[in-house]
Amino acid sequence: MFEANIRKPLVTGGKTLTDVSNDICRPIENKPTKLWWLGFSISFLLLMVFVGTIGWTTWEGIGTWGVNKSVMWGWDITNFVFWVGIGHAGTLISAILLLFRQKWRMSINRSAEAMTIFAVICAAMFPLFHMGRVWLGYWPLPLPNAFGSLWVNFNSPLLWDVFAISTYFSVSLLFWYLGLIPDIATVRDRAKTKARKFWYGFFAMGWNGSARNWHRYEVVALILAGVSTPLVLSVHTIVSMDFATSVIPGWHTTIFPPYFVAGAIFSGFGMVLTLLVIARSVLNLKDYITVEHLEAMTKVVMLTGSMVGLAYLTEFFIAFYSGVEYEQYAFQNRAFGPYWWAYWTMMSCNLLAPQVFWFKWARTTPWFIFIMSIIVNIGMWFERFVIIVTSLHRDYLPSSWVMYSATWVEVGIFLGTMGLFFTAFFLFSKFLPVVNMAEIKSILKSRE
Amino acid sequence: MTNSNQYWKGLEEIETSLSSTTNQGEFGDEGLPLDEVFSDSEGLSSNRRDFLKYFGFSVSAVALAACNKAPVKYAVPYVEKPENVTPGVPLYYATNCGIYNEGYPIVAKVREGRPIKLDGNEKSPLASGGLSAAGQASILSLYDVHRLPNPVIDGEEQEDWAEVDKAVKAALKAAGSKGVRIVTRTVSSPLLQNAINKFKEAYPNTEHVVYDPISYSGILSANEQSFGKRVIPNYRFDKAEVVVSFGADFLGTWVSPTRFAADYVQLRRPTEEDSTMSRHYQIEGLMSMTGTNADYRYPMNDSKHGLLLANLYNKLGGSVSVPSMDLPANALEKIAADLRSAKGKSLVVSNSNDVNVQVMVNAINDILGNYGSTIDMGTSLNISAYDEAAFNNFASDAGKGNIGAAIMIGVNPVYHHAKGGALAEALKNVGTVISTSMNMDETTESASIVAPDDHWLESWDVKEPMSGQYTFSQPVISKVFNTRSVIHSLHTWAGNDLTGDQPVMDLAKAYVSDLGAPWKQSIHDGFYSKPVASEAASFVANVSAAASSIASGSSSDVELVLYQKVGVLDGTWSLNPWCHELPDPVTKVAYDNYVTVAKRDADEVFNLENGDFVKVTTPNGTIDRLPVLIQPGQARGTIGVALGYGRKVNKQESNDLVDLGKNAYPLTSESNGSTSYLVSSGISLEKVGSGYTFAQTQTHWSIEGRDTIREATLSEYETNPKVRNEHAPHIVSLWNEHDYSKGHHWGMAIDLNACNGCGSCVVSCSIENNVPIVGRDEIRRRREMHWIRIDRYYSFNSGGEALTKEKAIDSKVDGGEYDHYEKVSTMHVPVMCQHCDNAPCETVCPVLATTHSTEGLNQMTYNRCIGTKYCGNNCPYKVRRFNWFRYNLNSKYNYHFNSELGRMVLNPDVTVRSRGVMEKCSFCVQNIQMAKLKAKRENRKLAEGDVSTACQRSCPTNAIVFGDRNDPNSRIAQLFNNNRSYKMLEETDVKPSVVYMTKIRNKELEQETTTSHS
Repeated sequence: MFEANIRKPLVTGGKTLTDVSNDICRPIENKPTKLWWLGFSISFLLLMVFVGTIGWTTWEGIGTWGVNKSVMWGWDITNFVFWVGIGHAGTLISAILLLFRQKWRMSINRSAEAMTIFAVICAAMFPLFHMGRVWLGYWPLPLPNAFGSLWVNFNSPLLWDVFAISTYFSVSLLFWYLGLIPDIATVRDRAKTKARKFWYGFFAMGWNGSARNWHRYEVVALILAGVSTPLVLSVHTIVSMDFATSVIPGWHTTIFPPYFVAGAIFSGFGMVLTLLVIARSVLNLKDYITVEHLEAMTKVVMLTGSMVGLAYLTEFFIAFYSGVEYEQYAFQNRAFGPYWWAYWTMMSCNLLAPQVFWFKWARTTPWFIFIMSIIVNIGMWFERFVIIVTSLHRDYLPSSWVMYSATWVEVGIFLGTMGLFFTAFFLFSKFLPVVNMAEIKSILKSRE
Repeated sequence: MTNSNQYWKGLEEIETSLSSTTNQGEFGDEGLPLDEVFSDSEGLSSNRRDFLKYFGFSVSAVALAACNKAPVKYAVPYVEKPENVTPGVPLYYATNCGIYNEGYPIVAKVREGRPIKLDGNEKSPLASGGLSAAGQASILSLYDVHRLPNPVIDGEEQEDWAEVDKAVKAALKAAGSKGVRIVTRTVSSPLLQNAINKFKEAYPNTEHVVYDPISYSGILSANEQSFGKRVIPNYRFDKAEVVVSFGADFLGTWVSPTRFAADYVQLRRPTEEDSTMSRHYQIEGLMSMTGTNADYRYPMNDSKHGLLLANLYNKLGGSVSVPSMDLPANALEKIAADLRSAKGKSLVVSNSNDVNVQVMVNAINDILGNYGSTIDMGTSLNISAYDEAAFNNFASDAGKGNIGAAIMIGVNPVYHHAKGGALAEALKNVGTVISTSMNMDETTESASIVAPDDHWLESWDVKEPMSGQYTFSQPVISKVFNTRSVIHSLHTWAGNDLTGDQPVMDLAKAYVSDLGAPWKQSIHDGFYSKPVASEAASFVANVSAAASSIASGSSSDVELVLYQKVGVLDGTWSLNPWCHELPDPVTKVAYDNYVTVAKRDADEVFNLENGDFVKVTTPNGTIDRLPVLIQPGQARGTIGVALGYGRKVNKQESNDLVDLGKNAYPLTSESNGSTSYLVSSGISLEKVGSGYTFAQTQTHWSIEGRDTIREATLSEYETNPKVRNEHAPHIVSLWNEHDYSKGHHWGMAIDLNACNGCGSCVVSCSIENNVPIVGRDEIRRRREMHWIRIDRYYSFNSGGEALTKEKAIDSKVDGGEYDHYEKVSTMHVPVMCQHCDNAPCETVCPVLATTHSTEGLNQMTYNRCIGTKYCGNNCPYKVRRFNWFRYNLNSKYNYHFNSELGRMVLNPDVTVRSRGVMEKCSFCVQNIQMAKLKAKRENRKLAEGDVSTACQRSCPTNAIVFGDRNDPNSRIAQLFNNNRSYKMLEETDVKPSVVYMTKIRNKELEQETTTSHS
């Protein structure tokens, strides 16, 4: 195989094919480490917080939150958009980078896709439980029903959300699972206990590594990549339309779709970085997830961060240029109103902070990248908070202007989804290979 | 296969089917169109597949239905249907509103035997059709769980009234030579007066003492001095082209506000044809609701009103020697000039209860020739005959043990009187205290015998609120509890045993026939008018003496004004959640009383902030802890505290009404023989805490320069009737508009000129539509449920410039300027769902729970709502309300929704919403539906006036008009085309179905500029 000398190897440490299987399967086959237990316990505890706070909300009513007559969405939809955004990196990495044949994606796509799925699950909790009558949560589905000729409203962006997110979730899940099949088969083949053999065998769906299997695999992967690619753009576009199609100053903005997509990729890569910086040291995968990978991702973060920043400035300009007093006030109020701190947190985290990635040191120092990835996610959370809350709290008629602050229940639910997310992620890292072994083997430079 | 031949049995059958459109049931029901459904060409000649399909469907449907255990409900039909009572069809009875002394004529809506709604009786000359917020809310006093279910003797309930009579008679006998005192409010009921007279005959040692919570004895004594008649005359605001009010809140709380508001608005509606409009000056210390409606408003401490009046008197041609005094920018001269040019068509009133000030007011009105035109001494108002001296005698006699028995009828002086605490002690020395209160109140707690009166909706009565005007009460429900009319009781105790089923009705009948009025017609109408000869009044008072006494009065840096709030009023009926959930029209604070302070005083004198707690010390008493509210428009040097709070009853309850606020009555005092609500010296405020959050429904005061409310001056309007509305936005639509060419197209018009902000519509709407009470904490969280709200905006005048932006207002204050904080002009804007044609809420609902009707209504389907709240967010007017909690049957919201009795007030035509659904104004769709069915039944088209909304009916000034825009002759269609009409936020192209009409003020444009330069 031809080896270009100018390209650095994507997997370091002179790994052999056996090494790959051994390294990646180690966490699955061995007992979990203390660090894993620690992380899992904390996450699980938070998951219980989620169960508790959601339970309380469902029992008592949405009144347990801080939302009110003017700001009817608060942390709930902020968190929803936040989590949906995070999901985007997974699809981008697995679909778009696959189509562009970016091979560096191979060592990170599995965990990124897993992240997508867990993030979308977390996201889905919010539109579901923010409903006043969550027990009727299936009504937005266009199901034939016995309530008369009741149908859903295809004009409503919330309905588009239902379609967008469920499509996104199912395609992502399929894609992820498809990629897992050869690896699950590897785990099956290495299994020593009957239970393992049975379960991994069950999920490997009879994979035998034949050329026919691989052919089918490649074809389906390509098709799914093709299907997912528009989803990367469509999902957040549609989420942004929840706001863009409304009449509220600060929401009613045509720039939202591209701006939201860029923001989603930005925050998604932020979250991937957070996870991978932890995973590569905790699971000892530094040879597979190299600094090269981190650097590539920081570049995406810087690019999308700047795009988002440009969108912020454009919004401001357009508000001024429109001559509409309500628009102008909405943006003035964002920057200098009572929620100025949220706005400036957003600006500094999303626009200014990622500019450090112009420096090579910043791009290649994992601990620093870790801190930056957290900042990016804080910034993106605030972006959604700014858009939702500052637009609603002062809209057209000053008589209805209010302030909003979250209650402990809302904070608990948000922390709880963190728990849900990380619990799922820890279980994933324990039971499934976090790096795509089959693919990574194809890019090893040192072959036996 | 179907037999298509039609056989008929006789001609009637075809004829019936031909005339089927006119031959409908009583409710216009046409039955289910089953025939149409099953009579398609296939008919029932189904094949096997269809059979299996139907069979499968039916079996599964039955199985599904069987899974659900249906609750068993019993509906018991009438054995003998009472005449006129049809379930589902309301009956209306004319009666009168028993709260306060107004004897206000009302119409009670009764459904299945229970009254559920009160509205003004528009046919009566005493009412415009509107009813005050307190009057609206008063229906709940009928269904109050705290009413006494039985008479009480020595703390023990007694079911048998004979026992009560025995005990009372024994007590009266024991009273012996010490005598009996009957304490009542001002008696406007001739039947009660007759009963008292009978009682006096039986017990000659009886004295009748009148006690009212709010005293107007200043006016009474002044009229006694001026004209020799101790009466409150009838003020004719409908004839007054110049109204000068010195602190009198005549639209909100003063004397007879609902009627005054209706009268006042007569001259406040300029049209293009006739632009006559009265001019209203208000000089006041506090910011009253009436002040917010004035054309010119001058903040001025109440203690200086006397001097100002004397100076005004001099300017009008009188001559009394007083130190000269003027308003800023020589405004007094301007007022005098306006008054001079409107002689006989002007009216000067004052809230002062000082006889000298009122004599001065009389002198001015006399010099202006207003007696006989705008003030009618011949027809007096039986609002108050309270004489402090007589009551003080009673109190001191009671303390000395000189009273054998006291019968307290509908009075609660232990709470209302300045020395209530002492009175409670004094009552212990009275032989027997008998109370006829319906509820256990502060005074009734001292009573050993309680003989509860009937509620006024349960009893017969005749009232004479104004001389020559009689209003009649009739029972609209059978008695809820074991109570007895006080008229009946007094007759019985006097030994005059009444017989018959309804003895008080017989008394009323006899009285009515003595009046010469037809009984049935009178009861049907609810009122009867008898012409009263007008009397010439000749003014004889000693003005100089009054003036010199005014001049000798002192004033200090800080003075306290004790005032009444709209809704709560004097506090007698304040244990009513609707009264407190209604925010104050000016401060927009619900539930509390507080100390209102001018901004300058708060910053520079007292060093206080909004929400600080203060201890109020006055020479008459102290209040330990009250929160501070900074009130724009308030005169510097004046602080205000509302009366009517701090009731000490129902303590076992747990809701916001218990122990609400602080009682300010102990701070009143007596001077010149009348109760003074002004404490002019010796006041100090001491900060004792901070951080109180008011339950305010509106926290942002200024409109931020937005074009959503419009106001112009009269001269601008005269030259350009389209003033402020010239620039309609140019709107292009991409879609086909709704087609309203057939049927109805509902719309509403709100005249901002007529709306005075009283909030009666808010309460009315809540009652009509079963809007829940959410309490103080939820309002703090900004979750009030009112479907209609009244936005109140201030514009701050600074150097001729109207500041409406928060930043500009604040920066002036930062620069040490406070003038603009006093020179405030106010707008009231009622806002409810605007029923937009392009409703932003409709498109965003994922489940179509909110949809557009073919008649232009924006409908809310509660059952379909899943509560995403997206509609609420997307509403530009923010009128949608969400059920954050379950408000009914929830111990946290322990108001009337929680008791069997309280729920009787619910309107059966409107769903009580469950938790998690959105709700909002429906334009009272239940009334529209009712009217349509009625018209259909009567086989006619809907006519103007058939449909009305609750807010519209309750409005004393008819500021709200509702109707069918498709009827070109309707008022609403004309108002939509009126030049003053505009649509709020029209530029968003939501196409609202509500128009607002620009407010016109009768003032000159440059007035403020000249003020600031002088």
